Amino acid sequence: MSGETVHGAAWGRLPGVLGALARVAVMNAVQYRVSFLVDFFVGSCNVVAILLPLMVVFDRTGSVAGWTWHQSLLVTGFFLFMNAVMGGLVEPNLGAVVEGIREGQMDYILLKPVDAQLVASVQRIAPARAWDAVAAVGVIGWGLSGTGWPGFGAVAVAGALVVTGVVAMYSLWLLVICLSFWFVRVDNLRYLLGAVADAGRWPVDIYSGAARVFLTVVVPVALASSWPAMALLGRLDGALVIQAVVVSFGGFALARWAWKQALQSYTSASS
Amino acid sequence: MIISVSGLSKTYRVPIKGEGLAGSFRSLWNRQYRDVEAVKEISFAIQGGERVGFLGPNGAGKTTTLKMLSGLLFPTAGTVSVGGFRPQDRAVAFLGGITLVMGQKQQLLWDLPPQESFALNRAMYGVPQAEYRRTLDQLVAMLRIEPILQKPVRNLSLGERMKCELVAALLHRPRVLFLDEPTIGLDVEMQGQVRRFIQEYNRDTGATVILTSHYMQDIAALTPRLLVIDKGSLRYDGGLAALAERVAPERRIVVKGGPAELSQLGFVVVGGDHVATVTPEQTNQRLAAVLGRWPMVEIAVESPPLEEVMARYFKEGTT
Repeated sequence: MSGETVHGAAWGRLPGVLGALARVAVMNAVQYRVSFLVDFFVGSCNVVAILLPLMVVFDRTGSVAGWTWHQSLLVTGFFLFMNAVMGGLVEPNLGAVVEGIREGQMDYILLKPVDAQLVASVQRIAPARAWDAVAAVGVIGWGLSGTGWPGFGAVAVAGALVVTGVVAMYSLWLLVICLSFWFVRVDNLRYLLGAVADAGRWPVDIYSGAARVFLTVVVPVALASSWPAMALLGRLDGALVIQAVVVSFGGFALARWAWKQALQSYTSASS
Repeated sequence: MIISVSGLSKTYRVPIKGEGLAGSFRSLWNRQYRDVEAVKEISFAIQGGERVGFLGPNGAGKTTTLKMLSGLLFPTAGTVSVGGFRPQDRAVAFLGGITLVMGQKQQLLWDLPPQESFALNRAMYGVPQAEYRRTLDQLVAMLRIEPILQKPVRNLSLGERMKCELVAALLHRPRVLFLDEPTIGLDVEMQGQVRRFIQEYNRDTGATVILTSHYMQDIAALTPRLLVIDKGSLRYDGGLAALAERVAPERRIVVKGGPAELSQLGFVVVGGDHVATVTPEQTNQRLAAVLGRWPMVEIAVESPPLEEVMARYFKEGTT
């Protein structure tokens, strides 16, 4: 086996593989019409549910921990965007990994001559979460209408922080999923992670001390919600940008290492 | 030599749970484990193009061995080389040259027509479009599945699904095929089709085939060489006929109907026929004796059924 049967280098085949996986993911998602429409309805309700508590709070006060209504809308907008990415891309895939380990479908991912982490991370999507992304753009625009429009540099930094935040959260999810290679069922940890990540909808300044460190390092949801908002408002310290990069790349490296270790412990469901 | 295995072992650590609800709670707080040696120091070598059958009772270690050979499981001890690669390294060139078909699992996308799974595999293995079309047409023709390519997989019968699984598994033209019970649950006609297909594929491409099956007909038809694995150890490596000759060398002489006097020659009545069990050396003599007195009887000489041979062989191992 000289490798003639695999054509092209692994990275050279990547665009084709990603395209094929995305195609299948979309076809799978639209296969059941009623479920697809219900998902969209639920997705739109989710946007309202995220905005409502913020409206209730600001109905009674002008600012929370130094954040005004419009400034807080920026945090909510970025939080919605992170929700769109996590709920639309990350959670369906990594959730499927747990099922795949339990039921044996993981075997077929590991047998393909493509990076197993990549395939396991991009084979499913939940299109209804696109609502969150659309709403995110609207809510950020709403917030900016009250805070003033930022310069290009601030937008670029905010964009970079969103990327680091998403990478950090993805890595955390992957670390949790890796545990299922040993313990098989980690559903409760996944729900806990989801609940903790929900704290990211509020400006990180309302949390103090350990809680703030927790939300910026351990469950770094603030990297993708509060910090990009702070960048747009010109409030972000450069050191925090470095911290965001370190947390996200460090988290990714740790998750990648854990994934490789986990594969060695894979026992494959009996057939 | 395409596959070489030396001292291969796999030990699983499995939790022990006490009986009932109390046992479940005890296990929650104080979980005990035991080591299960699924495969124990197995060694063998397989030449390119060979067809080899792994045979053994349930839980013997066949599938575990197959999964170590295909890189899914890390061995606890020993070395494996497949096509010059260490399977557990999961090198791209290694994975591109093998395939594993599992009769009890499926890689086809459940809600979509099989051709979507084929297209996905084409991208994963980087098969050029023209070559993909050529191989697909060939496989579809060999397995006669043209009419079902548009149907969602969930609407296919078990046999149709298995045929599509084979296509999905072979689109990249692997040179080593690991087939784990590929005919399980299929009706007799479909089993025959799958067997013929595997034979043709091996003949046309020179691919090495390693097969596990509970159906002795699969083994008898497909694999001239047999590796018998029992309780994790390799007990036999050789041809099926030689094993049958060793374990159950006797012949059964069956006379359809036949006169009652046959009992004088050691025959007993089984289901209306007269049957005598003799050694190979006694066969000709006994046949001559019967045909000398009753030249018009319908007579047959049978070896014990393969299922019986194997059952006896595995029982031998336990006593």
